[in-house]
Amino acid sequence: MSTPAAPLWIRPERIKELSLVGVIAVALVIFGFLVDDYYSGQFFNRITTSVVITAVLAVAQTMVVVTRNIDLSVGSIVGVSAYLTGQYAAAHPDASPVLAVGLALGIGALLGAVNGLLVAYGRVPAIIVTLGTLAIYRSWLVSHAEARTITADSLPSWVVDLPTRTVVSVGSLDVRAVFFVVVVIVALLAAGMQRLRWGRRLYAIGSNPEAAAQAGLPTRRLVFGAFVACGALSGLAGFLFLARFGTITVVAGQGLELDSVAAAVVGGVSVLGGSGTLVGALLGAVLIDVLDQSLVRVPQVSEFWRNAILGALILAAVIADVAIGRRFRRRWSAEARPHTKVTEDEPADPAPALEASDA
Amino acid sequence: MRGISKRFGATRALDGVSLELAPAEVHALVGENGAGKSTLIKVMTGIHAPDEGTVEIDGEPVTLRNAADAQARGIAAIYQEPLIFPDLSVAENVFIGHRDQGRVVRWRRMNEEARAILARLDVHLDPRMPASGLPVASQQAVEIAKAISLDVRVLIMDEPTAALSAHEVDRLFRQVRRLRDEGVAVLFISHRLDEVFEIADRISVFRDGRHVATHARDGVTRSRLIAEMVGREQADFYARTEHHAADVVLAVTDLGRTGRFSGVSFEVRKGEVLGLAGLVGAGRTDVALALFGIAPAEAGTIELGGRPVHITSPRQAMDLGLAYLSEDRRHVGLSLVQSVTSNITLPVLRRYTSRLGLVDRGAERQAAEEFRGRLGIRTTGLNQPVGLLSGGNQQKTMLAKWLNTEPTVLILDEPTRGIDVGAKADVHHLVDDLARAGVAIVLISSDLPEVLAMSDRVLVMREGEQTGLFERAEASQERVMTAAVGET
Repeated sequence: MSTPAAPLWIRPERIKELSLVGVIAVALVIFGFLVDDYYSGQFFNRITTSVVITAVLAVAQTMVVVTRNIDLSVGSIVGVSAYLTGQYAAAHPDASPVLAVGLALGIGALLGAVNGLLVAYGRVPAIIVTLGTLAIYRSWLVSHAEARTITADSLPSWVVDLPTRTVVSVGSLDVRAVFFVVVVIVALLAAGMQRLRWGRRLYAIGSNPEAAAQAGLPTRRLVFGAFVACGALSGLAGFLFLARFGTITVVAGQGLELDSVAAAVVGGVSVLGGSGTLVGALLGAVLIDVLDQSLVRVPQVSEFWRNAILGALILAAVIADVAIGRRFRRRWSAEARPHTKVTEDEPADPAPALEASDA
Repeated sequence: MRGISKRFGATRALDGVSLELAPAEVHALVGENGAGKSTLIKVMTGIHAPDEGTVEIDGEPVTLRNAADAQARGIAAIYQEPLIFPDLSVAENVFIGHRDQGRVVRWRRMNEEARAILARLDVHLDPRMPASGLPVASQQAVEIAKAISLDVRVLIMDEPTAALSAHEVDRLFRQVRRLRDEGVAVLFISHRLDEVFEIADRISVFRDGRHVATHARDGVTRSRLIAEMVGREQADFYARTEHHAADVVLAVTDLGRTGRFSGVSFEVRKGEVLGLAGLVGAGRTDVALALFGIAPAEAGTIELGGRPVHITSPRQAMDLGLAYLSEDRRHVGLSLVQSVTSNITLPVLRRYTSRLGLVDRGAERQAAEEFRGRLGIRTTGLNQPVGLLSGGNQQKTMLAKWLNTEPTVLILDEPTRGIDVGAKADVHHLVDDLARAGVAIVLISSDLPEVLAMSDRVLVMREGEQTGLFERAEASQERVMTAAVGET
């Protein structure tokens, strides 16, 4: 594997993403056989509208998970953000949509900042901090709401109509505005994680926290930033939640934290930090959503089994991840193998194999 | 550095230490474990702030608040176990700490620059490759490249050769000399005096947190250095007591495992030390893993006390009276976060368990206390996590752990690697004591003088094959080495 003639050279993340695309395609083909009239524009629309919330949360979760942390409070942040934004939109029907979305983002960023402060500067493990704030944010919402519910008819029409807005139609396939926007946001964030110093440093921290500190990276600030970003995106997901359902109760968004983790893991994000891409997380969210929406239409599969199938998928993803990783490591170490070590400080015979070894 | 002191609780890790590094010199730092070398590095790299004293660069006192600060002033450190980011690419590993690269990563430029810097070091790596698959020597090269890219002025190398082969050490030294010739001050820390004499221009000795002396390389002898390090004359470095042959405890015939080793046959008697010599990667550890049931043998026979056994698990091996001290004490040998006591009692926890299934902490403590006295483990307390001990004391803790199983056959894999001279001598004495007490010992060591001095018989392996078996009287360095590298 010396310099110019690097044979097979593809980053493991790419392989994960491509194999996910493959799995999604296979799933679509199989369901095409099982379900009558499966490939309809209506089905496409249903998937694209429903996937946006999990997709945003999966991406948000990924940004935290690559730093070897986790945010279990995203579901509660969705609830708080959806409820407060709904309240605001209902009270100010003439306010600009930008303000409403900004409010949702701001609420999320604030709640994420609380998580980030406690994790990065308070040195409390993320799983404990966010398990705590999961409950605290939700409880605060319950007391704030006083059993009132935001209803769709109280909301201005631009919010309620948002999910059905279409950017472009190809035949009976409508590309919804929200889907379009979310794809653009994910693409931008993915590029950021790949090309911004900030993004690469998040990976560095998760890959080896000790080395990150030694390399002089501002680890606390970076982890704090990851939590704020995750919170802000969760706030955005809250707004999408509001737009999609219209009716917001105090339990809105409950359980979404698990969906976000599941989508990220299926998307090849390592829970040990350091690896996994936002595109992968997005694909993970799509795969889960496709399965979820399609299994409903397969009469042979009862509701009871749907969750089990999703659970099996998560396990399969993790196992595949380990297998792929091992295969790659073996390949590399095989190429780096011809290392001979000598017990004494005598010069080793400079066999050609030794020269090849550092390539 | 002037008058640096650092205290941790009641321990005085550094006591008024002064050290000067000149540009374009390799300055070696030697001393026992706990002499304060690591603490000094941490002060120099901004991880610890000194309680007293100042760090000066070009005569100006500086305050190093953190690693980034030290880096900005051109101070970088490379450790025995390279601190790399396994998930990031080689190029990213080189440039990750940089502040001057702008907010946007220019991958192509970064890859090219990384390739160029590595090429200067005579290392040809694909900069896009993830760092996780690299051998230690290449990981170190990546770290050196990182230091170069930072325009390093002071490069600290903490035991960089511990995990390298001779060939790799040669290349590392070429890289070090090149840096020196470019004006870098290199602080080189090693337990291997051969290397120190080979690479250093000046040598400083530390002992008990104090700076003992600084010598020009040509103005000092090895025995003088050792005397200064340990503060006493080295009389019986390699001690072995005469003994008489007894019954065969362990007999191995034609042992093999596909792709690892084959045709290994030997006997070890009660009270005997069998040395296993050879190049790293010759399959010596694989033999040990087979004996201990971690990677069981697929061919050949093992007899323990004349009875053929088929060992397939460590549990079974332990029940048969075997113990194996891994060469990798940090990862598989010890639980670093647990206390000294817990580590020592772990393999035989049953013994300390009451009828109700509860662990008797008093009995645990008593056993640990006994071993601490017997092996001279230096700790602040038996509850101290093992990870906080120095290398030598970790090694002793691991020895205590396995001696606690009261083995009849003890397999030691590189028991003195990376530990200081004093702890080394302690380990040698202990091996002799154990042999005298009737334990059969298999000693794997890459330190040739050590194997020859400690062993009653030396088995040499090369590329998975047994290439020699010498009695103590006939085992010379030349013969063993010839068997290890093959006829030329």
